[in-house]
Amino acid sequence: MRNRLKLGALLLALLLLCTACATDYERRGDTSSTLYIGEVASSFPTSYMPWFSRDGVAPTISSMVYSTLLSYDEATDTYDPLLVKEWAYLDRAGNPLLTEDGKVDYDRLEKEYSVKGTSCIPIRFVLDENATWSDGEKVTVKDIYFTFDLAANQKLSNHAGALAWVNDLLHKYDTNTGKLRRQGIYTYDTGANEKGYPISEEEKDTVFYFEVNKVLGAITPLVSTVLVLPEHIYADLISFDCPINNTDPTPELAYAYQHPVGCGPWTLDREKTNGQEIVLNRRDNYHIKDENGGPLYKVDTLKFVLYQEINVAIYALKKGHIDVLDSSIAANYARLFEKEEDVFVASAPGLFTQCLVLNVNVPADQSTPARQQLKNPELRRAIALAIDQQALIDFVLDGNGQVAPAGLVLEGDLFAPDADIYAAPAEERLAEANRIMDTLYPEKDAAGYRLDQGKRLSYEILANPGMQDTVSYLQVLFQKIGVEVRYAASGNSPETTYLYGGNFDMTLQGVSLTPANVDIMFNSHFSNLNRSSNYGRLKNVEINKGIAAMRSTLNRNTKYDLVKNLEKMIALEYYKLPLYCQDVTSAARTDHFTGWVVEDGSNAFNMTSLSQLVKVEGR
Amino acid sequence: MNKGYVIKRILYTLFIFLIVTTLNFFIPRIGVDDPAERYYPPQGNMSDVEYNIIKDLTRKQYGFDVSTWQQYLRYLNNLLHGDLGTSLQAGSPKVVDLIADRLPWTLVLSVTNMFISVLFGMLYGTYAAWHRGKWADKLLMNASTVTTALPAFFLALLFSLYMGFEWEWFPAYTDPSLVSSFDWSLEAIGRVAKNAALPIIAMSIGGIVSYAQSTRNSVIAVSNEDYVVTARAKGLGTKTVMYKHVLRNALLPIVTSLGMSVSGLIGGAVVIEQIFNWNGMGTLFLTANNTNDYPLMMGIMLFLSGVALLGNLITDLCYSLLDPRVTVGGGRR
Amino acid sequence: MKGALSLIVKIWKHPQGRVGLLIAGVLVFCAIFAPLIAPYDPYDVTARAEKGLSPSWQHPLGTTISTGQDIFSMLIYGARVSLMVGLITGILTALIGAVMGICAGYVGGLCDTLVMRVVDVMLVIPTLPLTIVLTNLFGKSYFMIIFIFVIFGWTGLARVIRAQVLVLKNSNYVKAAELSGAGRWHIMMRHILPGVSHLLIMNTALSSAGIMVAEAGLSFLGLGDPTAISWGKMLADAQSGGALLFGHWWWIVAPGIGIFLSVFSFMRIGLALEEIFNPRMKRAGAMHRLFRTLNNTYIQKVFAEMDEAEREEAREAAKEKGGAAV
Repeated sequence: MRNRLKLGALLLALLLLCTACATDYERRGDTSSTLYIGEVASSFPTSYMPWFSRDGVAPTISSMVYSTLLSYDEATDTYDPLLVKEWAYLDRAGNPLLTEDGKVDYDRLEKEYSVKGTSCIPIRFVLDENATWSDGEKVTVKDIYFTFDLAANQKLSNHAGALAWVNDLLHKYDTNTGKLRRQGIYTYDTGANEKGYPISEEEKDTVFYFEVNKVLGAITPLVSTVLVLPEHIYADLISFDCPINNTDPTPELAYAYQHPVGCGPWTLDREKTNGQEIVLNRRDNYHIKDENGGPLYKVDTLKFVLYQEINVAIYALKKGHIDVLDSSIAANYARLFEKEEDVFVASAPGLFTQCLVLNVNVPADQSTPARQQLKNPELRRAIALAIDQQALIDFVLDGNGQVAPAGLVLEGDLFAPDADIYAAPAEERLAEANRIMDTLYPEKDAAGYRLDQGKRLSYEILANPGMQDTVSYLQVLFQKIGVEVRYAASGNSPETTYLYGGNFDMTLQGVSLTPANVDIMFNSHFSNLNRSSNYGRLKNVEINKGIAAMRSTLNRNTKYDLVKNLEKMIALEYYKLPLYCQDVTSAARTDHFTGWVVEDGSNAFNMTSLSQLVKVEGR
Repeated sequence: MNKGYVIKRILYTLFIFLIVTTLNFFIPRIGVDDPAERYYPPQGNMSDVEYNIIKDLTRKQYGFDVSTWQQYLRYLNNLLHGDLGTSLQAGSPKVVDLIADRLPWTLVLSVTNMFISVLFGMLYGTYAAWHRGKWADKLLMNASTVTTALPAFFLALLFSLYMGFEWEWFPAYTDPSLVSSFDWSLEAIGRVAKNAALPIIAMSIGGIVSYAQSTRNSVIAVSNEDYVVTARAKGLGTKTVMYKHVLRNALLPIVTSLGMSVSGLIGGAVVIEQIFNWNGMGTLFLTANNTNDYPLMMGIMLFLSGVALLGNLITDLCYSLLDPRVTVGGGRR
Repeated sequence: MKGALSLIVKIWKHPQGRVGLLIAGVLVFCAIFAPLIAPYDPYDVTARAEKGLSPSWQHPLGTTISTGQDIFSMLIYGARVSLMVGLITGILTALIGAVMGICAGYVGGLCDTLVMRVVDVMLVIPTLPLTIVLTNLFGKSYFMIIFIFVIFGWTGLARVIRAQVLVLKNSNYVKAAELSGAGRWHIMMRHILPGVSHLLIMNTALSSAGIMVAEAGLSFLGLGDPTAISWGKMLADAQSGGALLFGHWWWIVAPGIGIFLSVFSFMRIGLALEEIFNPRMKRAGAMHRLFRTLNNTYIQKVFAEMDEAEREEAREAAKEKGGAAV
């Protein structure tokens, strides 16, 4: 027996020796044009149906493998061609509403369609005839019709269409019966000519028409967020019994999900992709090239590597196992890379404003005395004045952030300077806040907190554990006006547990209002009452009217003015109080690839970087 | 072995399993008005009428459109067909598939840990028992106190820090491509061994000391039994006495411990796996928790309970094999 | 009260018990007087220092990388959570385990079967995953953790007590009390309970030790109250704050030593109690094994050891009847 035990021990020692001959990490030996990207996520998707993918790395991968019709450039407010090479609004006679230099003629658009009797705006699109799918088939209007038709048909898509925002496309199905009520997509084969939208025989595969709602914001989500699906793959696989959003798909449909065929610049390398790595290969027959006719993106292969934890990913970056981290890192990690020559760390201003959201309109079944007090706008104003954004930035973020305006829209075309209603110095604001509080709640208890009918004014701020420091500093700030706040853990799904039902005092929320999303986001944050981002259930008739007017106006300048007006109105509501706008710090290695570009709100891994990276020879 | 006893034990195990299944079904439903709440997509720009239709479709998709009792029956029916549910992850993988993917990796750690712990534990324990009172024994007693008081994950963190990050003897965290690039080649096995070394060392230190202690005590206790004294009095050599009589009987409590630790095999390594980023059942459960993937979480819980029950059953049956007094005379209860 | 004091004196006289008592005393002192002892208040957001400092005279254990809190102060405050969770759980487990064990053992019959079946179900459900699920559903707090520990912890003790009660049931003075017409409740309170009290006290000390280790593990996974400072949570913060990356070993070693000291002291006290109550160490054969094999799966081990004790009992009984198995 002892001999057997000794034998076991020997075997073990042998195995330990084996460990010595294991090879080194993959990255160092790989000199091909492959970019290793670190992703911090809990898991990688196993299927790539683009409409379901909302979390983690899936939207990034989907947007690279699939394509939308156009891409919206926020800085210039223009739409760049992707699948569609030309497009134009049409007037009632069918002529394009374009200025001499080919831009959208918003003035004539407004004049044409402000007239009574017009129910929709037609838009004419021309597909790029060189656009192809990754299996070689050409992209035709059949795919467009199939995609948008499916998105509008809730029954066939099993509400996957709800995830593709096609509300403003006037192509409607009856959700109960699945029958087409109103057609809004016109191609050569589906009655375009009969409806009065001319398409000739040669153009039948590339020209199509949409009829959209008479709002300026109709087009942005349609053309820049809906990923186009291949009709030749999915049309036969989908039926009412086997809708596209399916937890139990047929084997053929499951195969289609796992082997995505897209028309974007990259294809998924199915063999090399698995639960820990996603490999994308550049498509050489992608129809868009750079200025010199060469490939738009300079890297041949992208390899996404999964890490469960940010520290592990940072370590991997430091050791050279990956080239770039697709995630922002805390600013104090910059110290780690000080001695590393090949690592480039950059900070860029962020685009998300962290806000303190007050429950301004608590539903009856969640009402508490504390929450009732929040209905008083004067109290909210005092709370808003007590927030010292610069102190928060210096203290919690170590200076790595920007002050955010009260109107919540950052610098740009839509920024309204007069919406920034509390831009006075901190001491003045604090004095004003205390003045207000003195008229509302003059009594204080022994600790200096104000009393409302004998009870201390006390609120819980619902936030995830990472925001504890922010809440602690808010405690200090609010103590100065005599209001007590405490941290409350939000749990894993705060929205369904507390927020949608209105069961909270205050919470922290990140808000991003940009020209691309004003149509949807204003509604979502300040108007919708049902399971939307309007956690505090703000119900302001003026604001709702303002949002409706903003959405429906066809005059661009009026729209911008209305947005600025809205900003002022929401600032005066003292509902979502800005705390700070955190900078994004990111890191990338320069030993294999150089030319990293960091844009506002993004980390080093973004599409602009990808199109400008240069491979360092020999490494 | 008494046939009646075996059948009784098996029936009893099934009964307990049914209770556990029922608990498993009801726990996520406690205090929740609408269990489908978590599955609804956001309303976005939809009208209320449209949104209600979407909610109905969602309920139908996830099986919440029937009564709770019917859902329960459906759940039991699925279990009989080996379906533990469907995860909420993108692509809706089946829970059993996810478990099957990760289970071997957890077993790599746990089984190797158990093997090393038992092996070295027994070696050391018998040595200490045989040289009672000398330095080996004293060291064992002190080590026992220390390893009980020091949590295993603390040791794991220290090892990770020094042997992994600072001195780089072993990889500080698991190579993400370990699972996918595994192809049964010697090189791949070596890489697995290299990555698994730190977690196993961290886990097995406590295990070795624990088994050593049990073995030592058992050996000493049994050595004082009449039959051993008799054997020695009869003049049998030390070695024979040792291995033929003492060790075999001292094995009984070890067997019990082993059996009990079967369920710990899988559930116990959660923290260690998280520290080293090892892709096993532990990290699967933690990610399910972070993403509120209730079908996956409850599926894993049921699986672990089932394994524990099976472990108990097998231990009992083995025990009754090894020690006939259990069924014949003494009885268990 | 006098009994308690004399017990403490006896523990003090025992060499190992003295060590345990000293360390436990220091920890309790730290827990109660934390605001006085700690140089900085870790809850005070305005008194933060620079992030990620190495140990120095101003900060004996440096500061955390993520928030700039003084680690030494956090260490002192951390004692509160560990001791509180350990002691409360230990006492509650003892109470419930005692009640269940005595009822099952003395009353017997249906009560016994019911309790034992419940114990069986409890033992099968894996505790760590269940804790994770319940904190997910009902919120993360130490109350939930104590609740789960108590719900699962009483089972082991109940079995042990039940075994002891079965023995006591047949003792002369209990039989005499029954014959003289004393009520069940009276017998359980006056005769049985004192008989198992030693077991209870010892178990409270030992299981508190085991609970502290388990609580550290749960706090490490983030299942405790996020605003509280506990040693397990400090280890978790160290890991997620990048102590491993930056090489700040002091942030990891300090809470670990805290956990070690708290568990060690209670184990020593338990060992001293064991030797005080059982100077002959005859029945303590099983107790010894109980003590020595405490680790993270201690509940299952207790079960195994107690079964071993029963078997030993059966063996002795069989021997008495005249049959010896080899």
